[in-house]
Amino acid sequence: MLLTLIRRELLDNLMTFRFAAAVFIMLLLVVANTVVLLKDYERRLAAYNTALKTHQDKVQELKAYSGYELNIDRPPNPLSIFNAGLDKRLGNQVRVYHAFVPTLWDAKMHGSDNPFLNIFTSIDIIFIFEVILSLIALLFAYDALAGERERGTLRLVLAQSVRRGHILLAKYISAMLCLLVPLLLSLFLAMILLTNNHSVSLSPDDFLRIGGIVLTSLAYLSVFYFIGMLISEVSRRTSTALMLSMFIWGFLVLVYPNMILAVMSPSRPPRAQVDSAMKQMEQIWEEFDRERKGFLINDPVPGESIWFKIGAVGGSHEHLAKRASALDVHFRTGLNLEEINERSEPQVPHAQNYFRFLEPRVISTAEKTWLLREQGLKNIFVKPASIDRILLKFSPVGIYDSATQAWAGTDLHGIRDFFDAARQHRQRVIDYFYDTKVFGTRQWFAGDKQAVDWNALPQFSFKRSDIGINTERALPDVCLLLLINVILFTVIFLIFVKSEV
Amino acid sequence: MIWHITKREIYDNLNSLRFALTTVLLLALMVTNAVRHLREHPKQVQRYRDAVAESLNQLTTHAEESLYKLAQYGPGNFYKKPSPLHFCANGSEPILPDTIKVDDPIVFGTVGSSDSYEETVVLHGIWTLSYPDANLQNKDVGPDVSQVDWGFIIGYVLSLLALLFTFDALSGEREHGTLRLMLANSIPRHTVLIGKFLGALFSISIPFTLAVLVNLLLISTSSEVHLTTEAWGRLGIIFCLALLYTSLFLALGLLVSARVQRSAVSLMILLLTWVTFVAFMPSTLASIASSFSPAVSFDKYWKQRNPVQEDLWDKYGNRLWSEASDEETLRAKSGFYIDKVDNSERRSEARLRYRSSQVHRARAITSISPATLLQHLIEAFAGTGFERHLQFVENTQRYARQLREFVVDTDRGDPESLHIINVREGMSQKPISPAAVPKFEDTFDLSQDFNTRAMELLLLGLFVVVLLSGAYLAFVRVEV
Repeated sequence: MLLTLIRRELLDNLMTFRFAAAVFIMLLLVVANTVVLLKDYERRLAAYNTALKTHQDKVQELKAYSGYELNIDRPPNPLSIFNAGLDKRLGNQVRVYHAFVPTLWDAKMHGSDNPFLNIFTSIDIIFIFEVILSLIALLFAYDALAGERERGTLRLVLAQSVRRGHILLAKYISAMLCLLVPLLLSLFLAMILLTNNHSVSLSPDDFLRIGGIVLTSLAYLSVFYFIGMLISEVSRRTSTALMLSMFIWGFLVLVYPNMILAVMSPSRPPRAQVDSAMKQMEQIWEEFDRERKGFLINDPVPGESIWFKIGAVGGSHEHLAKRASALDVHFRTGLNLEEINERSEPQVPHAQNYFRFLEPRVISTAEKTWLLREQGLKNIFVKPASIDRILLKFSPVGIYDSATQAWAGTDLHGIRDFFDAARQHRQRVIDYFYDTKVFGTRQWFAGDKQAVDWNALPQFSFKRSDIGINTERALPDVCLLLLINVILFTVIFLIFVKSEV
Repeated sequence: MIWHITKREIYDNLNSLRFALTTVLLLALMVTNAVRHLREHPKQVQRYRDAVAESLNQLTTHAEESLYKLAQYGPGNFYKKPSPLHFCANGSEPILPDTIKVDDPIVFGTVGSSDSYEETVVLHGIWTLSYPDANLQNKDVGPDVSQVDWGFIIGYVLSLLALLFTFDALSGEREHGTLRLMLANSIPRHTVLIGKFLGALFSISIPFTLAVLVNLLLISTSSEVHLTTEAWGRLGIIFCLALLYTSLFLALGLLVSARVQRSAVSLMILLLTWVTFVAFMPSTLASIASSFSPAVSFDKYWKQRNPVQEDLWDKYGNRLWSEASDEETLRAKSGFYIDKVDNSERRSEARLRYRSSQVHRARAITSISPATLLQHLIEAFAGTGFERHLQFVENTQRYARQLREFVVDTDRGDPESLHIINVREGMSQKPISPAAVPKFEDTFDLSQDFNTRAMELLLLGLFVVVLLSGAYLAFVRVEV
């Protein structure tokens, strides 16, 4: 019986104009935008490759170890075509050196594009799904019950020995099958475009991630179908149901996500908190500086200069850099000599002693401030952002968006993975420096005698988190969507069973 | 007769569910908009005032010291004045920079001996305008949402509501059979159509006007925000624009509703059209248009810049490093400073121009979508957005010229001066009264590029006329 019902509903739905229109518009938008998005991805990839090459060449030019400062680059995520998330917006190159713990907030952008073009909003495939799938689902659902009731066919069907639950189930299954057609067809075309593009390389894991995205889309689609069904059940007349579902669609998709963040107070970091964290970090560095100066005064060379009376060509710097906007205080000091005068040779060991003393302290102080900074950044940037995200999740659109971001790896976690890798790389470089006892050597600050073999240093590599972690991050949101589905179905079922026909 | 039909339509709508929901929705959005504006705007104005005061302070200090100091250090940074109508169109304000930096003189050369640490500056630059790039929001890890400004409320929400008001205007009556009844009377079809159009326009205007009034009431009662007469005039224009834009969607709704037999199908077509034109077309087209011309990379920019700089060094030669203060040396230095500034300003302006022509091209192409057209128009009348930014740049350039001329003129008035501008030994060392120095004021002038605005306005009007006549033709020929 259930099968008969499903078949009837399926035929009913497939032959309609709305089905044809839905398929057409989905294909049109998804294909057109995939082409545009692929082009954009290619551009970002090209910028990444150029940056990578420039930065590697720059390291090779360095003569002394102390100048080591590798700019590492974050490759664009190919799945950002599905959900761009934060992938395009957050910085994609960051400096790594021993005296500084890099974070997402220190990153810069590859500066090869026209930044003014960012005044145009950009869209991705998931955005199309968010808008169109929900609209189509509601348009399929609004007359599911109200229409049959008006025409009187519901009465006829129920006159047979059909369970009411079966009717609902049949309607649901057949509509979902129909809605799957535009979803899968458009995704299929997008995938063809994606796999035929030589600059996009998708790993097997990526296909699983896309599978996850499809599943989430299905759950999202079904939430909106249930919402439409509920409206259809409650409002009894098709015209009312249509009107109501369009208003609810407009509210959930268009109005709520934009309005709620404007209503809730803007998440500005509390001034006092920033100031106190900055002050604490400054104190730590000042203490370090006192220790440093103490060493310089007590050593055999008079004065506080870090040149130790070495006659040489080169440069030195020592300054405290402060940026309250990124909660960043760090001290930079260094000596970089290109040529040393023969006469000054006896002075060189003094400098060696100084750096042997100094650099381990720089590293430990940097790590001490990092503990403070990490906490501060979390309070000032991450917490308000996650509260905003939770507020957005009161609309299914927000849940869907954050779930697909998690699958694609373009959410905050995904981006921070890269910076975790950057920090790990820094740790490896420091370990290498300690192992080769490079701080006390002449090569640390002078590049005149022996060239540094930069290839011996650990190389940076970054791999996106594996599918298991993506699943772990996406699962709560997917479960939430499924839960909403179950609740809506139960409600509809209860109302439908009790209602008079 | 038209009036009768209109009245009937309005009565019909006033009792409907959609009218109630529309009112609630628009009110909620407009109140949100007002509250946000009242919270944000005073802070913004305060920031602007503080920044301007600081610049003015710098200017005064330099002027009081000497004319030379003023010529060397310039007026301090320029700040874009926040528009009081910021709530109408946000105009991608967070992305566009609100400052034009006045770079401090750079020290090019010092002369000193290795024994003493005392160094004498013999060569330095003078103040230079530099145009900052768009702010990339790369520190903000929060979710990406658009601002709830009038542009959003009218462009997206009101247009959708307009479709919901008209999708069943004709097809609904045809389904009920009342259209047949009405046309059985001696009413010409165009009268029915116009009556329906006006009815829908009035009934959607009521909640919209109400919401706008509440919004403006909230904003104008606040003591911190002052709207001038001119601002009210511009608000009036924006309101009329909103009605014109709404008419466009009403006409579209009538057109589809006249052609299609069933109202559900009509709504389906309308919504998909809306989604394509309003939600997707602007961003897709912008992406396509911006990829037409390649961006000039930063490296290339530097590569182009360096040879010209070297030419300058060659042109003036070793004279620049001399510590002597004979007239020829001073003239060489002065010429070098002026050429240098001229050069670097020209180059960074050319870069800005190239970039803005890219943006303009993308904006022109996206104008196919009426939503973008409306957004541009509201931005223009509210005094925000990209065009406004370019105007700000132009204002600063004009002021920079004015200030430089002022320095030359004042110097001419000092008999002790050698009239060699920008060099300490060649210029007037006398302090000048800060009141005499021209001050920078950022103004917003609508008439400047009214031509493009008029084009856009005409285009929007044309859309309405075409759609309305299309609706008329469709309705006249359709069988009831």
